[in-house]
Amino acid sequence: MASEITYGHTGPVLKLEDVAIAYKVRGGEIEAVQNVSFEINRGESHGIVGESGCGKSTVAWAIVNFLGANGYVKRGSVKFLGQELVGKRGEDLRRLRGDQIAMVYQDPMQALNPSMRLGDQLKEVLTVHRGLSNAEAEKRAIEMLERVYMPDAANVMKRFPHQISGGQQQRVVIAMALLNNPALLIMDEPTTALDVTVEAAVLDLIAELRREFDTAIMYITHNLGVVARVCTKVGVMYAGEMVERGTVEQIFKHPQHPYTQGLMRCVPKLGADKASSMLYPIRGRVPPPNSRPIGCIFGPRCDYARERCRLERPQPRIMSNGVEVRCHFAEEIDPAQWQPHEDIELPTVHEVAPGEPLLKIEHLKKYYEVSGTTLKDLLGLTPKRYVKAVEDATFTVRQGRTLGVVGESGCGKSTLIKTIIGLENSTDGKAEFMGFDITGDISSRDLAVIKELQMVFQNPDSTMNPSYTVGQQIARPMLRFKTVPKKQVRQEVIKLLQAMRLGENYMDRLPRQLSGGEKQRVGIARALASHPNLVLCDEPVSALDVSVQAAILNLLLDLQSKLGTTMVFIAHDLSVVRFFSDDVAVMYLGQIMEIGPADAIYAPPYHPYTEALLSAVPIPDPTAEQKHIRLEGSVPSALDPPSGCRFHTRCPRRHLAPEEGAVCATQIPPWQEIGNGHKIFCHIPQEILRTFEPVISIKEKDESHVS
Amino acid sequence: MLVKDIMTRHPIMAASDTPVTEVQSIMSQNGIRHLPVVGDGKRLQGLITRQRLALKADELGSLNVWEITRHISQLRAGQIMLKRAQVITVTPNRTVERAAALLTDYKISGLPVVEEEIVVGIITETDLLRAFQIMLGLPMSGVRVTVRMPNRKGEFNKLSSVIAQNGWGVTGMGSFPTPRNPGKYDLVLKIPDVSVDEVQEALSSIPDQTIVDIRAAV
Repeated sequence: MASEITYGHTGPVLKLEDVAIAYKVRGGEIEAVQNVSFEINRGESHGIVGESGCGKSTVAWAIVNFLGANGYVKRGSVKFLGQELVGKRGEDLRRLRGDQIAMVYQDPMQALNPSMRLGDQLKEVLTVHRGLSNAEAEKRAIEMLERVYMPDAANVMKRFPHQISGGQQQRVVIAMALLNNPALLIMDEPTTALDVTVEAAVLDLIAELRREFDTAIMYITHNLGVVARVCTKVGVMYAGEMVERGTVEQIFKHPQHPYTQGLMRCVPKLGADKASSMLYPIRGRVPPPNSRPIGCIFGPRCDYARERCRLERPQPRIMSNGVEVRCHFAEEIDPAQWQPHEDIELPTVHEVAPGEPLLKIEHLKKYYEVSGTTLKDLLGLTPKRYVKAVEDATFTVRQGRTLGVVGESGCGKSTLIKTIIGLENSTDGKAEFMGFDITGDISSRDLAVIKELQMVFQNPDSTMNPSYTVGQQIARPMLRFKTVPKKQVRQEVIKLLQAMRLGENYMDRLPRQLSGGEKQRVGIARALASHPNLVLCDEPVSALDVSVQAAILNLLLDLQSKLGTTMVFIAHDLSVVRFFSDDVAVMYLGQIMEIGPADAIYAPPYHPYTEALLSAVPIPDPTAEQKHIRLEGSVPSALDPPSGCRFHTRCPRRHLAPEEGAVCATQIPPWQEIGNGHKIFCHIPQEILRTFEPVISIKEKDESHVS
Repeated sequence: MLVKDIMTRHPIMAASDTPVTEVQSIMSQNGIRHLPVVGDGKRLQGLITRQRLALKADELGSLNVWEITRHISQLRAGQIMLKRAQVITVTPNRTVERAAALLTDYKISGLPVVEEEIVVGIITETDLLRAFQIMLGLPMSGVRVTVRMPNRKGEFNKLSSVIAQNGWGVTGMGSFPTPRNPGKYDLVLKIPDVSVDEVQEALSSIPDQTIVDIRAAV
């Protein structure tokens, strides 16, 4: 086995020792982060993972002293390239930030000035920090844009931020961060807001740039799959402490801290389904900084907690394999022996035999009319133009089953759901629910139909009335649809809350007094209050932490098996969809590309688009090997979708279709029946589709040296 | 192998207004012997080496104890550094041997690597010695063999065809005129995944070439 070869000096770029960060608040101060130590070497990317509120971003801000007026580093030292940053003068820090440290945040729009051309913003970095001439700066900026694979770089320089897509904006931000060749790049959830396909391309870029520029990267994320793909080392943070730190392989293969083990059990493995595996949420929640326990900080949620854990705060210890763990009993814990704690209620899932078709959609279309702004348009002299948001959706959902819908953003997933529930009327096609026609919008529907069709939204904040109590919100549909006699409403609400594991005392709380996970539970309770037959879930878990996500998914599964509710489930996380759904539909630009039983979708034969999506999903397992398929360009405009097969402009497999793919541009592809309800919308013959190799394979540890 | 491949990127640097006391602690704490002084966005202004930190007796001779303290505490990096014009530098695209030649010619131990006056790295004796180890395949296990051959065309071809016939690879290589033996060349090879005996047997059959040294553990 070859030992690691290093060139140049590899000492740490950033070194944190026993750092505690405090915020001054009324009546004292709060230590948001305690005793965090880690170091990042040149050319290394160090992941920081943990649930929200664990202090990940606080650490990142402390490094550059962005803590705000009331925050400060209370103890410890932050060394950057050998120099102490704590206590540095503002002017020195400003120079360091410009020259040597760069940051990329979650929302690229916030890092870009919307009123300046991108070129001017990029050039500014060089003219201000390096004093380059304008022409020279322009040349460098274009070069850097080309380095981050920006198509048509010179032209992009002249555009404004809103004129390029989200993925491109993030590339511009990364390019801007790298212009000064920084020694340290801090990335705080840089791909969370992006689509999987775009995310995959950005992650590839980050990995490549790290190797080329030898930049140390501090990568903050909550997504374990992303960490497994881009990081070499990872630190797990919990409630302001670093509880475990090691290389990615060690942490993923042998997580030793109970919290890390818990996190791993919360995420569905890609390929796992609800019948064969289970998600185990971590019970309880992250304690707020001012009421942390005296003993082990994870003690109250830990399944292995003993007397010693309650009394004594464990110190980080280096284990035999070099992993740093903050646990008294790390050696004794064997995750294989783990049994779920009795407090965790696990859903009982049993395979539901497909019942009667409940929802029948045939050739459903939804077009939005776009009005032009020219005089001709206003006078109605030009032909009308339409955004074809949903084009020809055909599927059936049977009683008690779950249909998952996946696709990139802008592919029409949400429009499809909105049309079904009646927030939009459909343009053409047939839609039948329990025998009723539901092509019109909600005003034309019978109350009985509305009652049976309910929806859970992605963002519970924006869908709940902030001035209504939880009890009122849940009671409203019951009163409206008269499902429950007035006198029993209170009882029924309590029953529902208990089913959501929230308890009676939540009745009188307002939405702002709830955490994100609790709000989503209330949202689900409200959707279920009228005992609907069909629940439409639009990304119900995307905004939640993994442990909360696991709890919500379990809850939905449990309710489904108890009440026999049918669901349509939208999510962009393909492993969640695989886990949760019986059937899956893959959408692209308003067109369903592939539909069938979940296990059939995730194995060959694939539609080329499904194949590309699967190869882009970050998998929380560093030993998994994915085929490298990246789609070029971005999703074409729905205003003027490509002719023939809508995917032909980006299809990596087009040459396999008849006539070298010429038909793809001219003819609409046929639906190919693969069997068992699995259908693929593609010109490429089935026989060829079947020969595709699986996208994901788990490689055995084998690193033989090849010269 | 070029300078950019083996240099240390993102070197530790100081500004010209950094107090000399801090310069000293940065250098000793990080175990470095060269500290580029930069300003204006990483533009090279000078270089501080360990020698620059040595006390200059002639400057301090006329001062009393208290004045010395004040003098030292007021010294800034910019005052003691070797000024830009005197600093010998290298660009990232020079070869490593040329960089090594600069070190030996000027009897110095390190070079800031600059690209259009901006410091992009530093290359020191340590980096060059590490490159030397890697070139000869030290980090990888395998058989290290030294073959002596006459200095004429076609000799290396004989050797390489034997290696190719056996399907071996080479992880490190070096060649040099044999010391005190004009007309001969020595070639050091590192061959992985073979035994000493296999190599011995295969290479000793080459006419005009001799194995002068062979070992598995380096």
